[in-house]
Amino acid sequence: MVEPRPVREQVELDTVTFAERLHYVPGLARPRFPPWQRGWHDPWHSPGPRCEEMPLYKERGCYICHQGVRMLEGVRQAQWLTKTKLVEGLPPAVQGIVDNPALGLQELEERAKHMVSHARLWDTAEAAPKREKYCPVLFENLIHVRGLSGILMNSVTPIPPVASKEEILATKEHVLETFYPIAPTIDLQEVNVYKELNDTGFRDGYPYSHPHTLFFLESANVRTDRFRPEQLRAKMLMFAFGNALAKARVLHGNDPKVLEQPVVVQSIGTDGQLFQFMVFQLNTTDLVSNDGVKNLVWIDSDQNLYERAQCVPEIKKGVVTKPVGISGFQPDTFKKFLALYLHGTV
Amino acid sequence: MASLRVRRLLGPGRRWFSETVPGAPSPPASPLYPPVVASITAKSKAAKSRRLQRFNQRVHAAATVEEKLRLYGKLQRPKYTVYPQTFALNADRWYRSFTRTVLVPGMPPRAAAAKPPVVAAGATPEAGGAPEPAVKAPAAEEAPGTAETPGAAKTQEPAAGAAPQIDIGELRSLACDALLQESFYQNKKRPFLYRDQDHTPGPFLTQLVSTLAASLSGRNPLLAASSLDLNPEVNYYWHHGTEVVVHGHRKGRVDPVRFQIDDNPHLQIRVPKQLPEVVPLESDLGDVPVIDHKPSKLPLFKKQYENKVFIGSKVADPCCYGHTQFHLLPDKLKRERFIRERLEDQIEVVYRSNGIASLFAWTAAQAMYQGFWSEADVTRPFVSQAVVTDGKYFAFFCYQLNTLALTAETIKNNTRKNICWGTDSKPLYDVVEDGNVKGFNDEVLLQLVRFLLNRPKEL
Repeated sequence: MVEPRPVREQVELDTVTFAERLHYVPGLARPRFPPWQRGWHDPWHSPGPRCEEMPLYKERGCYICHQGVRMLEGVRQAQWLTKTKLVEGLPPAVQGIVDNPALGLQELEERAKHMVSHARLWDTAEAAPKREKYCPVLFENLIHVRGLSGILMNSVTPIPPVASKEEILATKEHVLETFYPIAPTIDLQEVNVYKELNDTGFRDGYPYSHPHTLFFLESANVRTDRFRPEQLRAKMLMFAFGNALAKARVLHGNDPKVLEQPVVVQSIGTDGQLFQFMVFQLNTTDLVSNDGVKNLVWIDSDQNLYERAQCVPEIKKGVVTKPVGISGFQPDTFKKFLALYLHGTV
Repeated sequence: MASLRVRRLLGPGRRWFSETVPGAPSPPASPLYPPVVASITAKSKAAKSRRLQRFNQRVHAAATVEEKLRLYGKLQRPKYTVYPQTFALNADRWYRSFTRTVLVPGMPPRAAAAKPPVVAAGATPEAGGAPEPAVKAPAAEEAPGTAETPGAAKTQEPAAGAAPQIDIGELRSLACDALLQESFYQNKKRPFLYRDQDHTPGPFLTQLVSTLAASLSGRNPLLAASSLDLNPEVNYYWHHGTEVVVHGHRKGRVDPVRFQIDDNPHLQIRVPKQLPEVVPLESDLGDVPVIDHKPSKLPLFKKQYENKVFIGSKVADPCCYGHTQFHLLPDKLKRERFIRERLEDQIEVVYRSNGIASLFAWTAAQAMYQGFWSEADVTRPFVSQAVVTDGKYFAFFCYQLNTLALTAETIKNNTRKNICWGTDSKPLYDVVEDGNVKGFNDEVLLQLVRFLLNRPKEL
């Protein structure tokens, strides 16, 4: 449709409009009527207060990060936002638990294979379970080995700090990498109406008050709804940081400062086959400046638990090429999962 | 044709005499004529029974259990869907008649050796109303099943070093922690409309069972090897009784009455070894109610869809026997609603019908996974347990499946009955206030712990 040519608004003279004629007349100007008012407040048909009139309106904008935010630059962007230094691989404390033979992680390997088979092959009356079904079932089975369930695992005592004081002070020299021309807040929604809230999710007096591990399950059936591994790691980092910050504010108050007792929160993310492990240590709540002591994060990414889970045998020309079952099971991934669980208690 | 046959019989040199010719060979071992049987395709009762026999032979001869289940449920016809959680009045009587179940109030008397004693501060089991299970001092020479005189209070003696004692205080603190975490400490939004059960009692039940199972798995090796299912599916399809088809192109034919249970327990524990039998296979502990009406009067409605038999996981799973199911009653069946409509006696009916129907479906499906079906009846009883709750009130059920033969032909000579033991619903706690659980009932927790510790005698 062609847009009508913009008519110059005539302000010098009174325009002659077809308002009194009550119908369109070619040659006369189109009248401008005042907007219709109901006259009384109808709650079902009122537009609501404008942004500026809402009680929580603030001049300073706030960037919201939620569970659906996919970071463009992934972990680097999350690092800049949370003032964090990245260390590849799991911290030596957790690695020590993995390698410790006294904990009997070997016998659990058989049970782990069982649980994977149950989640991926046997759990449904149809031929193959959907990802929405098998992802949480697999996760619950892995947790059931040690008996706790939930998306956030809390503990009675906090995890002891993983990095030593020297390493923490050494992060002062580290420079946060930026990716000009992209601003780090690019994926975050800026709002002017918000409420600043420091909520751990639990009331005071809860015996399991220290956040221990966060679990993220990418269980959407459609591949495009699921997070890519890089985006998943960024989300894990952001939310581990969020939980750690809420806990730190509860413990040490709202003032930004360097913490003498760093808060450690772990995080595990999976889409049913690939696992991402992360240990985050909050060293400072002073997030205004770019330098100073930084927070630390250890990431172990893209650990496969198994190669394939075949529900129906693949038969080509009468010969079974891929038999039913789980193939390529990696016990190391399961051991790391348990090590992260046991970290802080052992 | 007949004459030709006679000539063949005679052969060269033999004469047609009625007396036996000496030296004649003995009559051949196999019959010379094929057996005279009814036709397969005719429209007659004999033909119908022959077709049924051929079908039964096909199922008997099936190589794998999956093939057997496929053949068993191949023919789809309209069937009654039986809902375990129903608001129908007196549904438990109807369900008992459909499944040939005897309801015995109270818990079954358990064997002494399987029960470690509980350290409780002088608590004694009361035997009033629903008698509690007898907890005896573990002495192997005590005969299992010796009945206690009701009303006699027994003190629990600590074991003479035989089995480690359960610390009820620790388990109570676990249960209270789970309850407080879900109902008090966690900041939750308001529950969605009519979804109160998913808001607090559902997560509380999951948390309670997982923590209790984990802490008791050291004591019960069966629990350590068990598989915990969250929101599984349990289905069973069976025939019971006959009816005449009312209308349609099959009008006037005599059909078996088909039933299907599709159940979704909140939680279920499956184990690789079967639970021991409670009473012998041929025991008769009561009567099965006989109802003269059609099942549709309950009300029960017919639908035609896939005939599924499923215990919660496929046949290939090694954990193919059931241990305990946990059911959560939905908002539609809450107590206040029954009290408001002046149907207080139906509250217990809800728990009982849920227990009977769900456990029958589960045990029967387990039996089918082992290859038994209505023509090949079970040779050993299948035992499973269930806990039905609405978040606060708990009712416990134990079911022993003695027979699968419920079809019209097989039930004629069948003297066995299935047995269900069940208790009334009791509250676990009174109220949760300010971070404290008031009026915690140890008996209910104890019964739950006993359920979880149930295991075969060899373990």
